[in-house]
Amino acid sequence: MSQSTTVPRLQALRHAVHHVRPLAEGAFVLRLEKNGLEFEPGQYINVGPAGEVDMREYSVYSTPGDDYLEILVKEVEGGYVSSRLAACRPGDEVNVDGPFGFFVIEEEARHGKPLQFIATGTGISPFHSFARAYPELSYRVLHGTRYLSEQYETEAFDQERYLSCVTREEGGAFHGRVTDHLRQHPVDPESLCYLCGNCDMIYEAFDILKSQGVPPEHLFAEVYF
Amino acid sequence: MKYCLVHLGCQMNQSDAERIRTVLEGMGYERTEIEEEANLLGIVACSVRQKAIDKVYSRIHRWNTWKKKRDLLTFVSGCILPADREKFLTRFDLLFTINELPGLPDMIRQYGVVSAASVNGPASAHPAEPLIPEESKSDTARGYWHITPNYSSGFEAFVPIQNGCDKFCTFCAVPYTRGREVSRPSQEIFAEVRRLVENGYRSITLLGQNVNSYGLDRRSDEITFAQLLRGVGEIGNESGREFWVYFTSPHPHDMTDEVLEVIAAYPCLANQIHLPIQSGDDKVLIRMNRNYRMDGYRRVVQSIRRILPEATLFTDIIVGFTGETEEQFERTRQAMDEFRYNMAYIAAYSPRPGATSSRWADDVSQDEKKRRLHVLSEQLQKDSHALNTALVGKTVRVLVDGKDRKEGFLSGKTEGKLIVRFRSDDTSLIGQFVNVKLTHAATLSLTGELAAAQAVAAETNAQVAS
Repeated sequence: MSQSTTVPRLQALRHAVHHVRPLAEGAFVLRLEKNGLEFEPGQYINVGPAGEVDMREYSVYSTPGDDYLEILVKEVEGGYVSSRLAACRPGDEVNVDGPFGFFVIEEEARHGKPLQFIATGTGISPFHSFARAYPELSYRVLHGTRYLSEQYETEAFDQERYLSCVTREEGGAFHGRVTDHLRQHPVDPESLCYLCGNCDMIYEAFDILKSQGVPPEHLFAEVYF
Repeated sequence: MKYCLVHLGCQMNQSDAERIRTVLEGMGYERTEIEEEANLLGIVACSVRQKAIDKVYSRIHRWNTWKKKRDLLTFVSGCILPADREKFLTRFDLLFTINELPGLPDMIRQYGVVSAASVNGPASAHPAEPLIPEESKSDTARGYWHITPNYSSGFEAFVPIQNGCDKFCTFCAVPYTRGREVSRPSQEIFAEVRRLVENGYRSITLLGQNVNSYGLDRRSDEITFAQLLRGVGEIGNESGREFWVYFTSPHPHDMTDEVLEVIAAYPCLANQIHLPIQSGDDKVLIRMNRNYRMDGYRRVVQSIRRILPEATLFTDIIVGFTGETEEQFERTRQAMDEFRYNMAYIAAYSPRPGATSSRWADDVSQDEKKRRLHVLSEQLQKDSHALNTALVGKTVRVLVDGKDRKEGFLSGKTEGKLIVRFRSDDTSLIGQFVNVKLTHAATLSLTGELAAAQAVAAETNAQVAS
């Protein structure tokens, strides 16, 4: 089992907003002051409007070495927290609690072990942190989106290791869903597989990978609800 | 002046209530169970289910109507969701988290209440020690553990070893009500266990939301859970007394062979493991954010069977979790069949306010949940009966904990927490170990005959006196 080595803070703290970096299709990167928060790539934090009780979970998009904290947010229609975060201006404050979670890569797996990353939409966020924090990783990433414009800031990845699966327009490396790609291109059963995104994709990918001989103990999932 | 304290929910809340009582009685308040005659009314709240939260609102509504007729002070503590906290602040006079307990006397005094005795005065339940040591006021995360609890029982005690939770299971709101995992200093735990043993306690339960992640919040300066158990085991060996130590609840993710090997090495560490499975289906476990798969859980159970072959195995299960299909439920039933639990606490899923899963559709019908609950309950009864039947004819050690519902019988528990009843009206045996020859197995309990009771009672009494 993966085991995080960081310790969450005892309470949520306020972090100042540096900027909101718009991407596409209602997505944006929220950059915050780091405020001493220590985390491991793959972990998530709870973020919400300052002084309010509502918070939501976001995987950290930046790396521990950065002197700021970033999260990748997709504005959800009718979503209170995401719309409040979208409206943030430099100098505003948000509540940040954490870090939490066990979606981390253990030390021994970072050196030569084949890693298969599978993401949909903003589920690319923890992999963005992995790829930038651990340049030595032997990984391949499958990123499923509806449109090409939802492939956010892919320069963080080694382009030979990044494969886009696009469903609603041509132009991606693969036309179809990530699960279609997995069926047509079985993964190495020795791989450690990290899945992040919506629950339906994770359930489907879980069955496919198991049928391809990947033991369940080698499947790590972070579900975005 | 009198106080009445209501506690709802789990053993952790009971343990918190025991410390709150110490503070109130130290201030000179006299305990009453009758709300109508109390000047100070408090509640240790639980947020596990909406019903428990509703009870808090109902109580404070009633108490506030009494305020029109007489002077009354009210407070609330325990597991409180952020959204309820805001509302409670307007309804109760005082609201504090359990870590803020050392400041309770000052909070009460701010309301102009002059107590019958000073905080460290003669009314203190433990006059030999300062009621609220200075260090407890300065350490806002761990200070309240310095307060000696006013134990509810003279032979069974709960010892909290941590507070809070970092696991964020999607069905649970504890991380939002109790905050981050905070480990209690091991030396304090050892001191409390030693004191309990010296005072003749027979059953001690180490409490926490994830006991086996003990120490992980203070990696560089605190011992691990296995080391903590070893320390408790050494206290048992040094004391020469008979007592059983339990812990609840561990998380399968953090359960190691080392923990099991330590239990095997010390007689006072009880052969009973509570290992919540929650579901037997990998996908449901993912949705629950449980951070283990069935293969991993299976390996832990195999280790338990290998290292602790006499241990009883208990578990927690949720049926009808959001999205649980018939096929996924069937895997849970198969898991019960495979692991053959002595006891399982089976609950039909209900959304817990504040927990992540409360945002999802509760899409398994109530009738279907009831059916699944019934299926697993029947499985449990079958397994329990078979396991109990295999014990008939054996003589086992039993800690007597009270009168049985059946007239003329006492009831107690084995080291593995199996319920045993036997014919006796000698209430002096309550709180003592006795030997019972098992004669009959029932579902979830056993019946037996008292064997060599006088010798056992005399021996244990001598130990207490020495």
